[in-house]
Amino acid sequence: MEDLKAYIETGILELYVLGDVTPAEKLQVEELASKHPGIRAELNEIERSMELYAGENAIEPSEHLRSRILGSLLTNFGDDNDFPTQTHTEREKVVTTRPPDKQKEINFYKYAFAACLVLLLASAVALYNLYNRLNDTNTRLNAMQLQNQHFSTTVSAKDNELSLLRDTSYKLIRLKGTKKSPESVMTVAFSPSKQKVVIDLEGLKLPANDQAHQYQLWALVGGKPVDLGVFDATADSSGFKNMKAIASADAFAVTLEPRGGSPSPTLSQMVVMGKF
Amino acid sequence: MSEEELVLSLRHREKIAVEALYDMYSASLFGVISRIINDTTIAEDVLQETFVKIWHSFSSYNIEKGRLFTWMVNIARNLAIDKTRSKDFKNQNKNQDIENNVTFIDEQRNTVYKPELMGVKNLVQTLKPEQKLIIELVYFKGYTHVEAAEELGIPLGTVKTRLRMGIQELRKHFN
Repeated sequence: MEDLKAYIETGILELYVLGDVTPAEKLQVEELASKHPGIRAELNEIERSMELYAGENAIEPSEHLRSRILGSLLTNFGDDNDFPTQTHTEREKVVTTRPPDKQKEINFYKYAFAACLVLLLASAVALYNLYNRLNDTNTRLNAMQLQNQHFSTTVSAKDNELSLLRDTSYKLIRLKGTKKSPESVMTVAFSPSKQKVVIDLEGLKLPANDQAHQYQLWALVGGKPVDLGVFDATADSSGFKNMKAIASADAFAVTLEPRGGSPSPTLSQMVVMGKF
Repeated sequence: MSEEELVLSLRHREKIAVEALYDMYSASLFGVISRIINDTTIAEDVLQETFVKIWHSFSSYNIEKGRLFTWMVNIARNLAIDKTRSKDFKNQNKNQDIENNVTFIDEQRNTVYKPELMGVKNLVQTLKPEQKLIIELVYFKGYTHVEAAEELGIPLGTVKTRLRMGIQELRKHFN
């Protein structure tokens, strides 16, 4: 109680009533007042005397103010009961209007992101398709280039053949089948002036040789066989083939020899022969 | 109508309670406001704002913590002081004529007694002048005791003592 008396004598209660205390002091005074009726009573006394003193110093406001102020309060009567609710809903409105703004923003980014993803996917698919088509085109172009190459090779080969046939220095010698192979036939083009011997692989009719053997062309010069090179007879062989050079020949013959050819012809294996 | 009854009917937001509140307290509140604001029109505006605020924030008044008038006079004092700090009020001050300015400033910072403001009755003769002055500054004009000590050029302890002694005198007088 001594403590309380000292507390009262500090004058803090007077300052509390006069509204001149810090928030912490205010809490302290209120707490003590709720615990100690003595302090509560002391406060009440101070409040009462200040209230009476204010009454002594009162100034009567003009009469028109009464109706004005009461009017401004009473106009709120229509919705007086809603007033606290109204501020509440207003606050609620403020609270709810904000998130939609943010929500909108979030939604915008959500949609923008989705749109970007879709665009990315569409681009990837388009790119993939384009890549496939490019590959396809490249393959076809390569095939066409090969074909073209093949075609031009063929054309130039045919050109060569044609020019050879047009060349009057060439003589065409037909080699006919021997008794061993009566069906065989073959054409040799020989140009003594150019010393060239060409055989027509496309037109020849010889039994196909196996892997161990090859046909060998011979020229008979003054009764002696001269090697003019080897060749293969296959079903799809085509074009002309240049053989070894020779200036003159009496006759041409072909024998079947071991692969690579022989130094001298195996006469028993002679398949065709023709005189110049 | 007792204070408890008044508080209860105000809580129920009864029309008659508002009228009773005004009739019981408007003059005392206007006395405080008028000491802070000299201009009658502005003081009347502040009185209106005070009642509007009392009415709208009545749910925050706790009868356990103190008397209704103590709560209301704090609202009135704070609104009046806020008004003197507002832009409008300062602009209004600037619009005063130059020759009136000196007296106006004097009035603003006046710490001398003005019988007309103290109420014609001025019944309380028991207070010593220095006690009256401190109560005038802190209770009616809203100075803090620190500001009052600076204003009067006296120690803080003296301000507190004078306040307490003055209020003790008032208690004796009203009992």
